[in-house]
Amino acid sequence: MSEKNPRPDRGIRTDDAERPGTGPAESGSWSSKPEVDGKRAAVPSLGLRGTLLFLWRQLTSMQTALVLLMLLAVAAIPGSLYPQRSVNPALTEQFLKENGRWGEILDALGFFEVFSSPWFSAIYLLLFISLIGCIVPRVGVHLRQLRAKPPRTPSRLTRFTGYTRLELPGAQADSLIETAHRSLRRSRYRAEVREEKAGRSVSAERGLLRETGNLLFHIALVGVLVCIAGGTLTSYRGQVTVVEGGGFANSLTQYDSFESGAWFDENDMPDFRFTLEEFRATYVQPGEAGKVGEPRSFEADVQVTTPGQEQESRTVQVNKPLHVPGASMYLLGNGYAPEITVTDPEGTVVAEGPLITVPMGDTNYTSQVVLKAPDAQPEQTAVVGFFLPTGTIDEQGPRSLYPDALDPQLALTVYQGDLGLDSGVPQNAYEVDLTTLTQVPGEDGDPVLIRLYPGQEYSLADGTTVSFDGLKRYAAFDIAHNPFERWILISALVAVGGLILSLFVPRRRLWVRVREQGGTTVLEVAGLARSDDPALADDVKALASRLSEAHDGQRLPDAAPSGHPEADASDGPREGSAQ
Amino acid sequence: MINQQLAELSNLAIVVTIVLYVLALIGFGADLASSSQRRSDARLAAQERKEAQEREMSPASVGASGAEAEGATAVGGTAVAARPGAASAGSAGSGAGGSDSLAPGTAGTGTAGETPAGSGGMSAQRFAFLLASAATVLHLIGVISRALATQRVPWANMYEFATTSTAIVMVAFLAFSVRRTELRALGTFVVGPVLLVLLLAQTFWIVPAAELTPSLQNSHWIYIHIGVAIMATALSILGAVVASMQLLQAKHERVLAERAATEEFPEHWGRFGHVLDRLPSSSSLEALSFRIHSVAFVCWTFTLIFGAIWAREAWGRFWGWDPKEVWTFIIWVIYAAYLHARATGGFRGSRAAGLALAGFVAVVFNYTIVNTVINGLHSYSGLG
Repeated sequence: MSEKNPRPDRGIRTDDAERPGTGPAESGSWSSKPEVDGKRAAVPSLGLRGTLLFLWRQLTSMQTALVLLMLLAVAAIPGSLYPQRSVNPALTEQFLKENGRWGEILDALGFFEVFSSPWFSAIYLLLFISLIGCIVPRVGVHLRQLRAKPPRTPSRLTRFTGYTRLELPGAQADSLIETAHRSLRRSRYRAEVREEKAGRSVSAERGLLRETGNLLFHIALVGVLVCIAGGTLTSYRGQVTVVEGGGFANSLTQYDSFESGAWFDENDMPDFRFTLEEFRATYVQPGEAGKVGEPRSFEADVQVTTPGQEQESRTVQVNKPLHVPGASMYLLGNGYAPEITVTDPEGTVVAEGPLITVPMGDTNYTSQVVLKAPDAQPEQTAVVGFFLPTGTIDEQGPRSLYPDALDPQLALTVYQGDLGLDSGVPQNAYEVDLTTLTQVPGEDGDPVLIRLYPGQEYSLADGTTVSFDGLKRYAAFDIAHNPFERWILISALVAVGGLILSLFVPRRRLWVRVREQGGTTVLEVAGLARSDDPALADDVKALASRLSEAHDGQRLPDAAPSGHPEADASDGPREGSAQ
Repeated sequence: MINQQLAELSNLAIVVTIVLYVLALIGFGADLASSSQRRSDARLAAQERKEAQEREMSPASVGASGAEAEGATAVGGTAVAARPGAASAGSAGSGAGGSDSLAPGTAGTGTAGETPAGSGGMSAQRFAFLLASAATVLHLIGVISRALATQRVPWANMYEFATTSTAIVMVAFLAFSVRRTELRALGTFVVGPVLLVLLLAQTFWIVPAAELTPSLQNSHWIYIHIGVAIMATALSILGAVVASMQLLQAKHERVLAERAATEEFPEHWGRFGHVLDRLPSSSSLEALSFRIHSVAFVCWTFTLIFGAIWAREAWGRFWGWDPKEVWTFIIWVIYAAYLHARATGGFRGSRAAGLALAGFVAVVFNYTIVNTVINGLHSYSGLG
């Protein structure tokens, strides 16, 4: 093993500033330079164990962490540029259709599922392994440091920040030291009085919270990742569509679509039910401020029943979900459900009631109607067309001019033939394949676009009738639960708390030395910044002048800036350590 | 309901603000140009005095001219003042003026430039600073009247986000430079980008004052999440200005140090180099950049966390890789890399600053392209 860096602790994730020279009291654990040298030296033949150790050191090194961080940022970019299946599968399919071979290559490489792709996962997993490999040893070192006393006072203080030397003739050395000790303790330094050969000194340290915060931040990030993984395994999420007057009970069969984690247990789904009383939407009207037709409010009045509780009325809004124990319900969509009745030529009612129409994506709710009547005789019947809340039909075809139902109408065409429902292949209820069907002509025998207003009925040549009986709205809800959400939030907040400590708590050491020299009492104060700490020099000087004032106030502080010409410590006797 | 009169007032205030910023920018620019002029004047004067001194070799004028030459180099903004005797060089210069017919006038302007209060009129920088302060007050009036007109926070679309965050940038810059006057020299590089963003907002992103869309209603997170995001964006802009100045300054200092061995008055990048001479050193810019970026990083972290909480309330999931989420994540990761790079040997200084700028590029992308081109759930630009 030719590794030269014996310390498992590299400590380089802290952002300590460069220290001046090689302070004798330094642990030497927070510069990355020795490690770089160690790595360079480790290249020659290592053997298996050596190679593994070498790789481990490489992985947990700061340079690698940096590269992985940048890779993570770069790897996330395609996730925003290509339509992701997890976000909008329809867009992904469209992209694949439009881009042919190129799309297939991208698909094979995982560009449509970037955030679950092997390469993205590899990067963040390596990053977290690197992070754990870095912080585990540092936790041990830091715990020892928390218990240890502040390191002893360096023999020469002259080269440290804010060095101040004051001569206080006749001052009591012991009382000065006592005052310094007390004052530093009051300022929340860990202070320690040390006996030295030619006097006494106080060595004080503050800001261990910086490293605590740093470790906390990284540990909490691991916590976030673990909780997210736990949430992915145990959460569920489903979509339901409910027409006004309709109801929903929380069981798997009631969902339009449903997805859940591997460890999700269906029996954990809370038992609750609700009915949608009314759905209201308001839009910007002509003459009001804002863009005409822009939505202003969506509100769904529901009657909720949870086991053991009274039925209660609630209004679900965007940003105001409905929380019941074990589940939350979010209002995410809405549309129109015209009540359409279809009678076949034999006079049998083959379709009746509100039909959910699918908004086509324009802001005015031009919605697609697909009605399948497989029981119609003599042939299966499909009614397709548009629902228009404020309709017009012009050269652009049937379209809606305003999202609210000011002038609701249907523009329909009736087809007959085999709907293909018996083929056993599952079909989308909102789509129909028209290629196998034939259009039913109007009473005069010509192809006809039926335009219906509420209350109207239309008869086709073969006796099929279509009527528009009334209009309801529907609301689309997502029902979801992630038992780990709370823990993710707590971890994230702990992380940000640690981050704040690690960035803004200055870590510093302060020393006060008092000794008798040539018949007078000499007070020396100096500090060492172990992080960005612009206030340190001022604090050192403030402490020095406080001490001299507290002493007797008979002498003005002879404060010298760093590099005091007379302050040559080698004049005096060399201090050794008291230990 | 929208108060149309207040909304009009707000629009007007922003337009006037833009005009004032243009004037302030001219002022800051003139200040930079004149500092360059002053420096070359001082250099010329020093050279002439030196020649004169060599010609005359009169014992009486030697001491004074020597001190004066030293004072003239101090005009460059370097730390010569720490040298013993240099502090009195300025007054010695004007005192010695009587003996020399050419030098005193120019040397006088050179020293007066350092302490604008000494000269009777208002310096270009002071003028620009006051103008920028007035513009910022008007800017704030514009933002606040927009908020009052719509009775909500002034950050519900791109236009409002841009006007509000640039106002924060200006307030932060003024707050930084009220006490540290040497930072005022950065004015051009702060007012310039702010003006650019405001012009973009005024021409491309402006939308009439309107009420909130349902997805922004009924949630106090609009105050918290977007408020923090605005702070984060503003700090990123400021941080990027400081980091790029730091990069330029570092390069400038390196070249100057190399040339100082061979040339008496090392020159680099001509006039722009003179501008850099007046800015703080690259190491103090680095420290400032770090402080700004560390606050920015905390703000971005909160933006992500509060955004996740809001997303959970609004969309039923705390994270869904929406393009805006992806790019905020990218910003966060890049700034995290910056903070780490700063603590890593071999990356400190310029390389770390490069990462900070990369983070800012991501911020710009997140604000412009993601808002207008990429389709996502955060479609609040209010445009087309």
